[in-house]
Amino acid sequence: MKAVTTLLASALLMFCAAELSAHDQFRIIGTLTKAQPTSLEVRTKEGKTVAIEVNKETLVTRDRKKVEFGELKTGGSVVVDALGDTFDDLVALEVRIVPPIATPGN
Amino acid sequence: MASGEEELPLPSKRKIAIVSLAALLGAATILVTVVLPAEYGVDPLGTGAKLGLLAMSRPSQNESITLPPGGTEFTPVERGAAAYYGAEYKVDTTELVLDAYEYVEYKYHLEKGASMLFAWTANSTVMHDFHGAPDTDPKNGEASFDKRDASQANGSFVAPFTGIHGWYWENPGGERIVIKVTSAGFYNAAMEFRSNGTRKSHELMPLNAIASGAK
Repeated sequence: MKAVTTLLASALLMFCAAELSAHDQFRIIGTLTKAQPTSLEVRTKEGKTVAIEVNKETLVTRDRKKVEFGELKTGGSVVVDALGDTFDDLVALEVRIVPPIATPGN
Repeated sequence: MASGEEELPLPSKRKIAIVSLAALLGAATILVTVVLPAEYGVDPLGTGAKLGLLAMSRPSQNESITLPPGGTEFTPVERGAAAYYGAEYKVDTTELVLDAYEYVEYKYHLEKGASMLFAWTANSTVMHDFHGAPDTDPKNGEASFDKRDASQANGSFVAPFTGIHGWYWENPGGERIVIKVTSAGFYNAAMEFRSNGTRKSHELMPLNAIASGAK
């Protein structure tokens, strides 16, 4: 019984590892519209608002230096690198506070 | 000379001249009608074509390239300093636009040992990494060949392993950057991966696109 349990647990672990490694990396660039301890919302230049989960591993930086989460201010420009399968289930790896992003010319 | 043997009369000078001339004419005829078409592909009288001799002067069309095990038509077969392929090389040109902080990866799939030439320019300095990832281990086997900030590069490349090889370009923040890439090589696919998660295959041009000026 113990052997069967161990085997099943190993199989489950391997399946989970495979799923994690299958996540893609995304970059969301835009204006911070919401900053909460567990989630952010960023409005992109296309006008789309993307919700991104935040966890204890999420790094917040400015000028390549780590800063506190409280430094994030709504209305500010951010560059968020996140992992996920789609834009609807992202987890932030790093949130970079950047200077205001100019509107691209045509 | 023993007694009783008959002396053969020597041919006259005129006869020697006639025979020599005939031999010379015969040799010249064979040269022009047979040897030149067969050996050199020169056929002034058209006899080579009529006799099917012209094919002998051309390199064998049926010589096949023996691929290594698991090889494809884009796998090089080396013969001394040269490498031969079962397919023509492709050409490609594209323009990539990066707004502030956006990045893009543009890569080609090459078999191990396959070669390509490339040139790219940007209207401003970009963060840049020319690298490759093997088919057998794309996540852990990545190798960086040239990583630096740059605004242009011209070069040649021979794939150290079968996989996707190309560039990571990132706009470090600021004005829009446009990158133009041109390449030619024995690759069989081109792919674009963007920071917003989108992936796109690019159509490669055949060799005759250069002659026709097609894009």
